[in-house]
Amino acid sequence: MKKYIKNIVVCLVCFLFIILLNFALPRLISGDPVAYLTGMDEGSMSVEQYEFYRNALHIDENAFVQFGYYLKDIFAGRLGYSFRKQASVAELIGTRIGATLQISFAAVVISCALALVWGLTSGSKKGLLDKVSTPVNVLVGTFPTFLIGMILIIVFSFDFKIFPYSGLNSPDAEGGAAYFFDRIYHLILPVVTLIAVMLPSRFLLMRNTVRTAMGERYVLFARQRGLNMHRIRYSYLLKNVAPPFATMVGMSVGASIGGSVIVENLFSINGMGTLLTDAVYALDYPLLQGVLFVSAAIAMVSIVLTDIICIIIDPKARSEGVK
Amino acid sequence: MNKKRLTALIIGCAIIAFFVLMAAFPSIFTHYGAKEMFDSWQSPSAVHMLGTNDMGYDIFTELVYGAGQTLLISVSSGLIAMLLGTVIGMLAAMNNLVGHIFNGIINVFMLLPKLVCLIVVAAFLGRSQIATILLIAAFGWVGTARAVRARTLKIANSVFIENCVIQGYSKLHIAMRHVLPNLYDVLFSRLVSCVSGCVMMESSLSFLGIGDLYNPTWGTMINFAFRRGAFIRRAYNWLLVPAVAISLLVLAFYLIGLAVKKREA
Repeated sequence: MKKYIKNIVVCLVCFLFIILLNFALPRLISGDPVAYLTGMDEGSMSVEQYEFYRNALHIDENAFVQFGYYLKDIFAGRLGYSFRKQASVAELIGTRIGATLQISFAAVVISCALALVWGLTSGSKKGLLDKVSTPVNVLVGTFPTFLIGMILIIVFSFDFKIFPYSGLNSPDAEGGAAYFFDRIYHLILPVVTLIAVMLPSRFLLMRNTVRTAMGERYVLFARQRGLNMHRIRYSYLLKNVAPPFATMVGMSVGASIGGSVIVENLFSINGMGTLLTDAVYALDYPLLQGVLFVSAAIAMVSIVLTDIICIIIDPKARSEGVK
Repeated sequence: MNKKRLTALIIGCAIIAFFVLMAAFPSIFTHYGAKEMFDSWQSPSAVHMLGTNDMGYDIFTELVYGAGQTLLISVSSGLIAMLLGTVIGMLAAMNNLVGHIFNGIINVFMLLPKLVCLIVVAAFLGRSQIATILLIAAFGWVGTARAVRARTLKIANSVFIENCVIQGYSKLHIAMRHVLPNLYDVLFSRLVSCVSGCVMMESSLSFLGIGDLYNPTWGTMINFAFRRGAFIRRAYNWLLVPAVAISLLVLAFYLIGLAVKKREA
């Protein structure tokens, strides 16, 4: 119990760190904070404009008052205003976040489920499967995201022409079930790329956890009673590797959003990742901060959620709480 | 050391030695200059081993010169990250307020969405090479710090450290003279994985076009290839070869790590 509570506190501190980083970056770095916060350079602004922004951003107040305004902006749900795109950052992210979530959540769910089943099977039995799958995963683990994505595009989109190589929908797709299946069809390659990137490290982690658990006495006891391997795997080992597995899933969400940035760029998908890289090229600083804030928020929420799930499913944690 | 691990070590070292040779003496491998122009979009031939790109640069030459930049950025950021990780890890092992604070910092950095943070901070800091190196180091030290902390805690409980305390040595003296030398195996195996992690981070960043574009690394080459239509023209030589080079480099570090880690066990 204590461990998970500690984790949740660390999460909150982490979130605070992101907010502080967002607040401090444009103000501490040499250069005019007005230029950073509006994303325009001093030369292209008239004096009136400059004064207007300076007032609007409360640059002349002291740091604490500024921080207060910044927090107010966050809690009002605006996350700042992108002067480049003439829209509030929350609106811009809101229109794009759906694509990112579809890719990254699908990848997290599938890759973690695969890692669990594969890790349980390969870790609990020494044999050919384990001998083959560990080196294969190590090898795939050394491939950068874009290499996997490019190979998939070349093979499946260009050579065999099975899957589309860009976008999330065909231009003419609309309405109902057809639209839904078109979306699934477009999602397959990006999601498979992300799965291939995330699976190796997660598989190895699960396999090693299971391998360690295999040495425990409850496994020996179960085997002596003549239970078959399947039963031992899914009713004995699974319960004991569930907490580390849940933690792994929670941590994966943040990583998948990072991976999704590259995948979205590779497949030209209009998600939060491409919004981020566009903002880098356009030097749209408020938008950059907004994306960092939202992705950190998603990562933290998922970690806190899995910690709560851990408290619920882990009997050890529960009884400790009762004492 | 058995044969398998020795082979892993030799293969890993050979790959890295090859890339280091490329970085140090590019003129052995190619007799073209880095910015020498030929006809554009040639496919691989005897004259141009990997063909030429849209500007007419020889791709193999670019690859050779990119090796230096890739290694420079990833090795130097890896070393800085190691230094940071060792110091923070040892500080975090202390059983007082400072220790708790540093342990908290380690936990916070564990949870940060690394790539998004890197991209945003890089956008603020600009495109210089030094900024990229420092940034990657700033996000790459966490694993090392955790490993160093765990080992330091273990060493701190051992008898010879107790003896040192009884002898009245200062904490700094114990840390530098007695704990640090005993960390060598952790440090060596972490160095390998730390540098390969930095290679990955660097290539992801430069693939997204963030970083110093005047000194192209392998990631930057792929970024250029991707943006300038190598896909449409089926110039896979330009797209895939740098990416394969990156994974070879990472694999080489992994193999060395494997040989080193197994020996301690």
